Amino acid sequence: MNKEIIKNYIPENTKVDFVGNIALVKVEAVNILEIANDLYNHKNLPLKLVTATDERFENGCFKIWYIFGIPKENIFIALFIELKNIEEFPSIVSVVFEAGNYERKIKTFFGLTPAGAFDTRPIILHENWPIDVFPLRKDFNLQTKVKQSTGTYEFQRVDGEGIYEIPVGPIHAGIIEPGHFRFSVAGEEIMLLEARLGFVHKSIEKIFESEISIDEKIKLSEKISGDSSFSYSAAFCRSIENLAGIEVSKRAEYLRAIYSELERLTNHFGDVGAMMLDTGFNFGGANGSRLREIVMQLNERLTGSRFLRGVNVVGGVTKDIDLNEKQILLNNLEKIFKDFEEVIEVVESKISLLNRLRGTGAITHTIAKDFGVLGVPARAVGIENDTRLDFPYSVYQELDFSKAEVQTTGDVYARFYVRIKEIRTSFNLIEKALINLPEGKINSSLDKIVLKKNSVVITLVEGWRGEIAYFITTDLNGNISRVYPRDPSFLNWSAVGCAGPGNVVPDFPLINKSFNLSYTGNDL
Amino acid sequence: MNILIWIIQIVFIPIMSPLCVGIIRKIKAKLQNRKGASIFQPYNDLWKLFNKDEVISKDASWVFRYAPFVIFSVTIFVGMSVPIFMSFVNNTFTSDILVIIYMLALGTFFLALSGLDTGGAFGGFGSSREMTMSALAEGGFIFSLLTISFIAGTTNLLAISNVGILQHGHLLLSSILAFISFFIILLAENTRYPFDNPSTHLELTMIHEAMILEYSGKRLALIEWASSNKLLIFISLGSSLFFPWGIAGALSLSALLFGLFIFCLKVFIFCLAIAVLESSIAKLRFFKLPDLLLIAFILNVIAIILIF
Repeated sequence: MNKEIIKNYIPENTKVDFVGNIALVKVEAVNILEIANDLYNHKNLPLKLVTATDERFENGCFKIWYIFGIPKENIFIALFIELKNIEEFPSIVSVVFEAGNYERKIKTFFGLTPAGAFDTRPIILHENWPIDVFPLRKDFNLQTKVKQSTGTYEFQRVDGEGIYEIPVGPIHAGIIEPGHFRFSVAGEEIMLLEARLGFVHKSIEKIFESEISIDEKIKLSEKISGDSSFSYSAAFCRSIENLAGIEVSKRAEYLRAIYSELERLTNHFGDVGAMMLDTGFNFGGANGSRLREIVMQLNERLTGSRFLRGVNVVGGVTKDIDLNEKQILLNNLEKIFKDFEEVIEVVESKISLLNRLRGTGAITHTIAKDFGVLGVPARAVGIENDTRLDFPYSVYQELDFSKAEVQTTGDVYARFYVRIKEIRTSFNLIEKALINLPEGKINSSLDKIVLKKNSVVITLVEGWRGEIAYFITTDLNGNISRVYPRDPSFLNWSAVGCAGPGNVVPDFPLINKSFNLSYTGNDL
Repeated sequence: MNILIWIIQIVFIPIMSPLCVGIIRKIKAKLQNRKGASIFQPYNDLWKLFNKDEVISKDASWVFRYAPFVIFSVTIFVGMSVPIFMSFVNNTFTSDILVIIYMLALGTFFLALSGLDTGGAFGGFGSSREMTMSALAEGGFIFSLLTISFIAGTTNLLAISNVGILQHGHLLLSSILAFISFFIILLAENTRYPFDNPSTHLELTMIHEAMILEYSGKRLALIEWASSNKLLIFISLGSSLFFPWGIAGALSLSALLFGLFIFCLKVFIFCLAIAVLESSIAKLRFFKLPDLLLIAFILNVIAIILIF
């Protein structure tokens, strides 16, 4: 059946190998531009990620992977090109614009040059890292002490009378993650905004390849972006379950759905409050953090961790919700929901607040499409993408959930309101899941996890920020040889740069907060 | 006796002003379902800062070093010249509306200079915003005090509070308009909502806080103290000029105590108004601020037209 579907997308008489739901298609380097153009621009398939693997020891080549997804079918097309004795591959950025940053990342970490790309500057690694050392190549040892290098980063410049540059960060006045922003302003109006990230790079991808146990790797996945701990570890566990052929019980799937919606609630409450606080509306700010705290305490009660850490294991979850807890959770949720609706009622009557939110930091539909924006900011311009619906996983299909929550204006207000709507949806989903919670074991006791050899797996989950993607490969011995977790922030950061110009500088913190992207998820 | 009165008049504002800030913060906390710090916390903060070392950029000039003293002295000088809870002291030298307004402007001028002095990006835009605002606020400030001067027939603040502008019943509307615009100016000059958020951590949205970002230790303490003095000065002006009830018009212990009590009550009402305002609205967009300041100015123009 999968073959039938794939036929519509891949030219006939092309050799297609199936690994689970992934169609592996080997493409000659000269053809990649044309095929990618066809899939992306004509067949309208979303690009999920582009990355590279170093298989010089096994196959004597580097591989560049282009993963496209077929929505609703849950099938992926993995195009790959092999680079034997050559360190250059054709760039597809001229037809797939959003591939640009992926290609820069391949250039920085693998030393493979995207030929024909307009921007091949290093990304994430800074000038103190020598440009001829490529940390994700297999012959680079994680323990290597690298010689400090020097250089200067050239920010984009705006020339003209009265243009004033404001450097902000990487250390900020509030307790937030580090990132540097360079504003070029005329008076108060932002002309150009350039974000410089990479300050929290900690070589997560490389550590995933090292010989630590699977349990340790699950812990590592929880640390990719602390506020999305559950989504990241759930996606990682699903990948391993997929590779090891482990069935997960229905009850465990339901519990995972409940916990991940609780994570969404926690963070959306925090964001809705923080956005109001950044407009100076203290009442909303205080209530947002109050509601967030209540849900976090519920999390702790259920799992022993405010951030839902240590819950996911290969084969299921470690924490159950018994009948008593179920009732307590249902009662609490009802109270929180009422509380939340009362706050929203006040919010909707505050002209001064709505005035600040409306029309601020708008991005257009075109920009969101071109940069491949994911999650809340994408839904705020009216793009209906929600991985829970497009690539159904877990039990979402059984919970009467059929439509992504969208707004159309693409401004701060739209992102604010998408979150409010998603909070309501999450309440419904948790309630339904709790009521329908089937009996059964919550995990399967496993002696040893044996992974498929020489295999590939792609896992998508809808984290609260947007779609989190994992690309994992195993080598000939069944060891994990490459893990690429792609945070939605990696794509969305480019859109923040576009949301700035035309607004005044004092509105930028609000715009940034309305995206609320992860720095660590981007920097890995 | 006269000396004692003058000492009270001089030290009252600096001693009480941190308490006033503490009360506003406490009310705000209560309105947001928080406990909030003690109302005496601003005193602790000042004490802490005075006992701290300071770091001064090596690029800083004398402006940066001496500005805090100028800014603080200005508030002491103005503080002793405004009617607080006694109006019988005779001061024809400094209690004039123009002297007060331009002494305060001098403080603002040095504050903006000190923001620019170290060449930091935040100080630069903080000063630019402050100057934009105070240039627009100045008109409203002069005209609102001018309105009540017309009503009272004198430009001496102590005399105005002695006369009591609300006795002229037919000029009630003018007085109300002048007060509304004075209140807007109070919020703008003290960089409070909806103009600025005094408790923000977002460096890009700051006005007053951005200018003083480079200060630390004792000099920061002086500036913080000066800004709370300024707030109490404005509240005193508002309460003694527009609502001069209970102000001690003659030297007697009972009149003084009654005046003090009524004054504290009035200050509390002002604090309450500011705190409620800051808890119930969002900050205005920066480019909408001039509109609000222009409204203050226009209200005064109408008030003056109504007088004649």
